[in-house]
Amino acid sequence: MAANVGIPPAVTDESAAYWAAAAEGRLLVEHCGACGAESFPPYGICRSCRGRATAPVEVTGRGVVYSLTVNHQRWMPGLEVPYALVLVEFPDHPGVRVFGRLRGCEPEEAAIGMAVDVGFEPGPGGCAIPSFVAVAASPDHGPGSGPAVPGAV
Amino acid sequence: MGADLFERRAVISGVGQSAIGRQVDRSGFQLTLDAVLAAIADAGLTVDDIDGLAMFPGGGKANLPGYANGNLYEVQDALRITTRWRQGVVEGMCMPFHGPAMAVATGQARHAVIWRTVKEGSAARNAGGRPAYGSTNPMAEGPLAWLLPVGALSPVCQVAPYAARYMHEYGATREQLAWIPVTQRAHAALNPDAVYRTPLSVDDYLSARMISTPICLYDCDVPADGATAIVVSAAETAPDLRAPVAIEAMAGVVDGRPSWEQWEDMGRVGYATAAALWERTDLRPADVDVAQLYDGFTIECVWWLEAMGFCKPGEAGAFVEGGSRIALGGELPLNTWGGQLSGGRLHAAFGHVAEAVRQVRGEAGARQVPGARVAAVTNVGGYEAGAALLTTWSG
Ligand SMILES: [Zn+2]
Repeated sequence: MAANVGIPPAVTDESAAYWAAAAEGRLLVEHCGACGAESFPPYGICRSCRGRATAPVEVTGRGVVYSLTVNHQRWMPGLEVPYALVLVEFPDHPGVRVFGRLRGCEPEEAAIGMAVDVGFEPGPGGCAIPSFVAVAASPDHGPGSGPAVPGAV
Repeated sequence: MGADLFERRAVISGVGQSAIGRQVDRSGFQLTLDAVLAAIADAGLTVDDIDGLAMFPGGGKANLPGYANGNLYEVQDALRITTRWRQGVVEGMCMPFHGPAMAVATGQARHAVIWRTVKEGSAARNAGGRPAYGSTNPMAEGPLAWLLPVGALSPVCQVAPYAARYMHEYGATREQLAWIPVTQRAHAALNPDAVYRTPLSVDDYLSARMISTPICLYDCDVPADGATAIVVSAAETAPDLRAPVAIEAMAGVVDGRPSWEQWEDMGRVGYATAAALWERTDLRPADVDVAQLYDGFTIECVWWLEAMGFCKPGEAGAFVEGGSRIALGGELPLNTWGGQLSGGRLHAAFGHVAEAVRQVRGEAGARQVPGARVAAVTNVGGYEAGAALLTTWSG
């Protein structure tokens, strides 16, 4: 898969674990050892209790689209359009919302409330970007499919 | 109420603008000087009266090509003045005149000028189209790291999910919201300085190309070239001023998560700022004669119409439908200069403030709202938000 055109992230001390895991197809958020709340993006402090004992935790469950847009404008040379961008929340991970692309369905089929699985795909500058997978179209959930493998890059 | 509010110790004394257009063949620095000198003259002051300088955004902050404020010290040097107060901010602007008002209210300056200069029209032309936000930097830093890599490459993509969520929750339609850009275009026809003045119809709107759903071309403000300057003076200098305008109240609250994609409740924006504004005044929404509500995108006007209490939450679609309420002659004439959607993206409410000042002075020409004494003006929306009421000076 050709890498998506975009502007690459400046990786910081706080976000390094997130981007490293993304390259492996895993979605990390920040988990609080004191109260158990989860925060995103990672700041090294719990946004619930302000505890500093945080550690990365992987989000594997199914997400729900909170809102979305389908971009039609070629903002940069080589940008392939249209594509859907979705804001995804996770019933099992309150407080976490992640922005990413959507695949597995036509952009026009993206809808608020639709279920998605975690996934990634190649992004700019060698990074991997969230690319959620529409559940209805996900082969991981077809008849006789094996266990869900969250988004190989 | 409010005798001890700092903003009551400040007045807006002058507004000035350079030539404004899709492209103006003049450097950003010259546009800045044009606007600053015009604003000082408009105030009835001389350059030597100015002892405070500010610009938005501050130095070095340019996420888009065409941010053309220049350097504050070069402007001071060119004007050959002495300043006692200077400011360039990115965060915390609230309204453009917030910092200058604090400066003159606390005696740090007597007459402060703030400007905003854009050459975004020329930058878009030179790039062959509106460029990606953040494309002035090789890497996406800070909050942009969660937006630009995934392909949310423009404020359009960042704001569009708010519009989608709003329409989903309330059932507002594009046919209804079209009346905001359509009505503002009719207002722009009466403003000789507006960028786009030819009539726009609802059909034109509905057949326009999508930029990022549900935001179409006419929901987006127009990249433009131009500068706006605002002079803010200590209220006690009013006898020296040509036509001061009172700042009845202002507020800028950042509640929710200060992030485009993390803002919790995308159907509702600006409520905390509006509530704080109304706490600082005895005026009520029904007292507002004319509204200059920030319109980087159509949906931002929707937020402000509802947050400010001009209509109930979820009812902006019905409120604007048909255009009669928000047109000149309606109960709440909206963005009488055309707004950024037709007047040009002068950015950060500088154009809105200039128009509000002209309206409450009775100097808005063919688009004057008869007898306007109270203008509401708002800035941005989303996590950074500002709102103010400007009123006719009564001494
Ligand atoms: Zn905690």
